Amino acid sequence: MEHEEMSGGGGGGGGGGGSLRRTSGRNRKVASKMVAALASTDNRTQAALARLEALENDNAAAEAAIEVNYIEDDDDSFDDEEDDQVYAKRQSKNTKRKTRQAKALDAKKAPRTFMELLHEANLEALPPHIPSYLRAAVGPPSSTSRRHFCAVCGFTATYTCVRCGMRFCSCRCQVIHNDTRCQKFVA
Amino acid sequence: MLSNNSNSVVVLDNGAGYIKAGIGGDRDPKIVVPNCIGKPSSSKKFLLPDQLQSHDDLTSVSIRRPFDRGYLINPDLQKEIWSHLFKSLLHINPNNSSLLLVEPLFNLSSIQRSIDELVFEDLGFRSLFVADSPSLVHLYEASRRPDGLISRAQCSLIVDCGFSFTHAAPVLQNFTINHGVKRLDLGGKALTNYLKELVSYRSINVMDETFLIDEVKEKLCFVSLDVDRDLQIARKTGKDNLFKCMYVLPDGITHTKGFIKDPNEAQRYHSLQDYSSTLLPGTNEEVGQLEISEKTEDRKKIDLTKNEFHLTNERFLVPEMLFRPADLGMNQAGLAECIVRAVNSCHPHLHPVLYESIILTGGSTLFPRFAERLKRELRSLVPDDYQVKITTQEDPILGVWRGGSLLASSPDFESMCVTKSEYEELGSARCRRRFFH
Ligand SMILES: [Zn+2]
Ligand SMILES: [Zn+2]
Repeated sequence: MEHEEMSGGGGGGGGGGGSLRRTSGRNRKVASKMVAALASTDNRTQAALARLEALENDNAAAEAAIEVNYIEDDDDSFDDEEDDQVYAKRQSKNTKRKTRQAKALDAKKAPRTFMELLHEANLEALPPHIPSYLRAAVGPPSSTSRRHFCAVCGFTATYTCVRCGMRFCSCRCQVIHNDTRCQKFVA
Repeated sequence: MLSNNSNSVVVLDNGAGYIKAGIGGDRDPKIVVPNCIGKPSSSKKFLLPDQLQSHDDLTSVSIRRPFDRGYLINPDLQKEIWSHLFKSLLHINPNNSSLLLVEPLFNLSSIQRSIDELVFEDLGFRSLFVADSPSLVHLYEASRRPDGLISRAQCSLIVDCGFSFTHAAPVLQNFTINHGVKRLDLGGKALTNYLKELVSYRSINVMDETFLIDEVKEKLCFVSLDVDRDLQIARKTGKDNLFKCMYVLPDGITHTKGFIKDPNEAQRYHSLQDYSSTLLPGTNEEVGQLEISEKTEDRKKIDLTKNEFHLTNERFLVPEMLFRPADLGMNQAGLAECIVRAVNSCHPHLHPVLYESIILTGGSTLFPRFAERLKRELRSLVPDDYQVKITTQEDPILGVWRGGSLLASSPDFESMCVTKSEYEELGSARCRRRFFH
């Protein structure tokens, strides 16, 4: 039954099957990010980066969608003006209904991400004996032997998708992978 | 309502996931709330952490956090949350209070600057002390057992498996040995998101259901002691599948909270402890057939309008990510290797005592069998003549806070703080030097 449902979601071009609820539009947004990542030179590296990014993300694929919601929703909410255009639009609206918090947030620019702050801190320039965020990273595993799990069903997987590097265990799971998530959903 | 107590120390373990806040000297924090604001689909505006916590319908919550990858990136949002917390929940006045703040390891100086600004300039605290979680956990555990090894050797290895990352941190004489710290970029948040993905791929789209899936993770996930064996069990049908259980999503009408359909069914995996290790997996062909029959069985049982989904191998594949990230596509060493690398960065004299005083803290160490699995993996990596001893904190979520509370009530606490006037005179960077050696 999972199969039916997944192909329902995938066949509709990410349009969402019966039980895939209102979030399908958001999935498409991450999908486009994913496709962009995959279009770059090293597909699998990019896919792995996108994957880590996805695991960091709170509002599913909704980051972009949230901005849209802010314009459409009523004014009694916090702002998330990552986009200057959105910000400008908000400024022109009636501000009387805004909460104190919303105003406080309006006054400031959107916060920068940790990766931006890290880049700015220029920790690479520190002498090697100084401990830092960068030097504390555990690094890659020493053993190269890996177990692989099928991205579809979770069981031991022996095959690798040539396009995105994800694993699958059988023809059946490969079909589902190709139909529903290969380069469509977060890797 | 504001307290007139001029000696109060506010102890604030300001986690990326949860804020633990209270008064120094108390056993437990007065409040434990998520460090975020959120807008549930049933609400028109963003709710503050405590409002969010008491909101009865937490489906499809849009979340905004002041933290990104474990570090504070949005001081303005943090200020809103803290101001509300101090005024309306803790009832303290910063002007006559000191603050003991727990900060992540290797915090960037630009972030420290904005925190100091927030603490002294925006909120007006009288004085500030900044601590890191490994040293506080060490302090707390050492004080609990004055005759124990940790206290006698003044040394321990703290494994803090938090929301955004996991640190293995050696502590010596109440100071974290920074050059020995190793970080794994995985924590509770990544695990929840991984579970969201698995459920969304396999049955129903829950990508927007952070709070719900958090709960599913906490209630149903566990650490496997034998992944290959458990994968075989997970593909069995009927009663032989000890992991299969059903979770019912809220429908917003009859129930606004999700729940485990049959709690007894969810607990069946505990019988595995008596499981014979000679269990023979079926041949591939047999398994394939079983799988098909399982699907037909499911077709009859699952009613999609009820929004329920079943879990099997997800229950242990999710925490598995901490132990073998590479298996799940992440090019990082697992937790056991992370610990070995942390120990190896310290003086060889310390190695045996560090392996013998490993302390687990942080919410993600609460998965059943976490310590057992870690011990097994470490045993195979650590020299035979060293003992491996792992202790889980009595309360891995509150442990850091309790250490902070203990420190805040020590007689020389005030002398360790930076005062507001010192900050005004010296600035952030010079004041900060006092906190860490
Ligand atoms: Zn498969
Ligand atoms: Zn693929």
